[in-house]
Amino acid sequence: MRTERIPGLAIFKGLAFAIRQVFRPNLTVRYPEEQNPISPRHRGRLILLYDEAGALKCETCFQCAQACPIECIDMGGVDTRDRYHVHWGASEQYAERREESALRRSGRPVPDRSFDAYEPIDLGPLDEILAAGRYKPANALAMLEGAQGVYGHLPVAALQHIAHQTGANYAELYGLATSYPHLHFEPPVGHVVRVCRCTSCTLLGGGRVLDAFREHLGTDVGGVSPDGSVRLGVTECGGASVGSAYVEIDGEPLPKSSPEDAATIAAALRANVPQGEAA
Amino acid sequence: MSLPILTGAADWPQMLLARAANGAVADIEVAEAKGAWAAFKKATTELTPEVVLHTITESGLRGRGGAGYPTGSKWRDCVAQADPVHYVVANGFEADPGAQVDRVLMELDPHAVVEGTAIAAWVVGAEAAIIAVSSAAPLAAERLRVAVEEAEERGYIGRGADGRRLEIEVREVTGSFVVGEETVLLRALEGKRAQPDQRPPYPTREGLWGKPTVVNNVKTLAAVPWIVANGAGAYTSLGSAQTPGTTLVQLGGAVGTPGIVEVPLGATVREILDGPGGSAKKKFKAVLVGGPTGGFLPSNALDTPFNYEALRQAGAVGGSGTLLALDESACLVDVATLMTRYLSYSACGKTIPCRIGIKRLAELGTASCSGHVRPSDAQLLNELATDIRDAALCGLEADAGNPLLSVMRYFAPEFEAHSLRGECPAGVCQPISLAGAVSS
Repeated sequence: MRTERIPGLAIFKGLAFAIRQVFRPNLTVRYPEEQNPISPRHRGRLILLYDEAGALKCETCFQCAQACPIECIDMGGVDTRDRYHVHWGASEQYAERREESALRRSGRPVPDRSFDAYEPIDLGPLDEILAAGRYKPANALAMLEGAQGVYGHLPVAALQHIAHQTGANYAELYGLATSYPHLHFEPPVGHVVRVCRCTSCTLLGGGRVLDAFREHLGTDVGGVSPDGSVRLGVTECGGASVGSAYVEIDGEPLPKSSPEDAATIAAALRANVPQGEAA
Repeated sequence: MSLPILTGAADWPQMLLARAANGAVADIEVAEAKGAWAAFKKATTELTPEVVLHTITESGLRGRGGAGYPTGSKWRDCVAQADPVHYVVANGFEADPGAQVDRVLMELDPHAVVEGTAIAAWVVGAEAAIIAVSSAAPLAAERLRVAVEEAEERGYIGRGADGRRLEIEVREVTGSFVVGEETVLLRALEGKRAQPDQRPPYPTREGLWGKPTVVNNVKTLAAVPWIVANGAGAYTSLGSAQTPGTTLVQLGGAVGTPGIVEVPLGATVREILDGPGGSAKKKFKAVLVGGPTGGFLPSNALDTPFNYEALRQAGAVGGSGTLLALDESACLVDVATLMTRYLSYSACGKTIPCRIGIKRLAELGTASCSGHVRPSDAQLLNELATDIRDAALCGLEADAGNPLLSVMRYFAPEFEAHSLRGECPAGVCQPISLAGAVSS
């Protein structure tokens, strides 16, 4: 407090700091001629930051993956639509290190879906689709739709193959596929329950119905029930809801929905999995 | 499932749904007997494109998609472009998840939409036009396809029809809420990722495939044949002087009879709700105007006329043309939060204020509903919503703050009960619901 009363002291303090800086050694390193020593434990890893509430700040927007010129950025996470997604970059480069570091920390490898190797597929039909699209990235949407028609969903291997053959950036293809709701990355499951989330359906109790399905199916929106038989999703009623919230089971609207019915519907769907579609 | 068509007040003009008063007009024979394609024949045989353009400008027709941009100016801007290739896109992608206004129009009177598109293409010199329909509306797409085929058989449109060439394609588009926006729709039609573009340049200069493109809502285009047939003067006498004409409005929620009604622009929200909507089941607490990006109007603001300026000034949008009445059992903070969460879910992720800001808005709303709110959150919410609007690239982003802002503006006591005292007057918000309060 007393120092504030001395006029002009701050100026001298500032000057003293500036003069000290003049005599300090230069921090700039003339890379690559000179190189700073790097710790042997340094991996150059990208770190995701957490906010004050402990939530991950990363929105899984893939902008960094898209911007990366050598496609080395690789991520898995929940995107802005609450779907779990994985961007399969060159996983084989990164997975080993990750396993190594996980081992070092815990003594055993941590299983993580995002670093499993992807399943190979028969690329024959995909090559025909690519030829029909004349290998042009501009026809990527038609290629993706064709691939989904052949494989039932969009396998990672198919996306990688399209990216290699057309020269399109993998992240661009991935971004295109995620922006269209009819394209999906998960194999189809036995049944799909969809609940409308529009305002009028919510006023009719859609939120409670969705919560009931969440509870009884044991999964969140976009996920599959633990036994792998039923997927929970969202749809749009288009104003078709009169009296109760709009719920679709396998594309067929329910005449009436209520949170109480959700338990019986969920149980019935889990018990009755059609063999052909479940595969 | 389609909602019933309600009859408006006796002095309300019937124009968009005039032909389809007794059910859908799918067949071209029936439609022509009722006057379809007469305007197109009149325009192409007796008039010049410049005359029709002048008529549309004089009529004061404005875009029914929500922005209310004058249709004549839009077409004129497109005509003025030097590029010889022009396109016309009819936007029938109904973005609002709870609305079916455009779908019902396309199902009931597909010929009006096709004829309007044909006239627009003829005026701006386009040889290809696309009618974009949501893939969730297969019947509308089917009827439009039949209408286009029948018109081709009659030789009105199609390849080599007396020197003119016009091909109309009906395209089914999938996508989220944001696809209803014009630049997003154009990207989706090009098969690209559905994201908006910077404007200007507007689509009338650089639109589909970089060519000058007119993008009009199907309700706008369906009005065009009537204007050409009856003249600009007849149209300006309908509705209000500032925004002439009629539009379609969907009534829902706590109204006596949900349905779709054709209303003259300028009729007040109260007239629309009380007349065709029938008597309310309960007392209205608020009316949500304009779908997920719309705003809540309180019961004392129901005399707001249903036109673009008045609604925007009141904090709502006319966009999707839905009026959703809410009764006393609804908690508006909860509903507004839900809408904001839906918008954050629908955001394409192109701009950071939209991708992260709307998510933060929804989090602030969730905090209010769950009682974990800080006193400074109201100010933060206000500033964040304003910043998102200022940085907006598309309509979704610009209007994303509307639900929460309109609740703060008109229902301050209810909002403050949540944010300052941790109470929910309606007893809806779960962790903090008031003991003894009646929930729905």
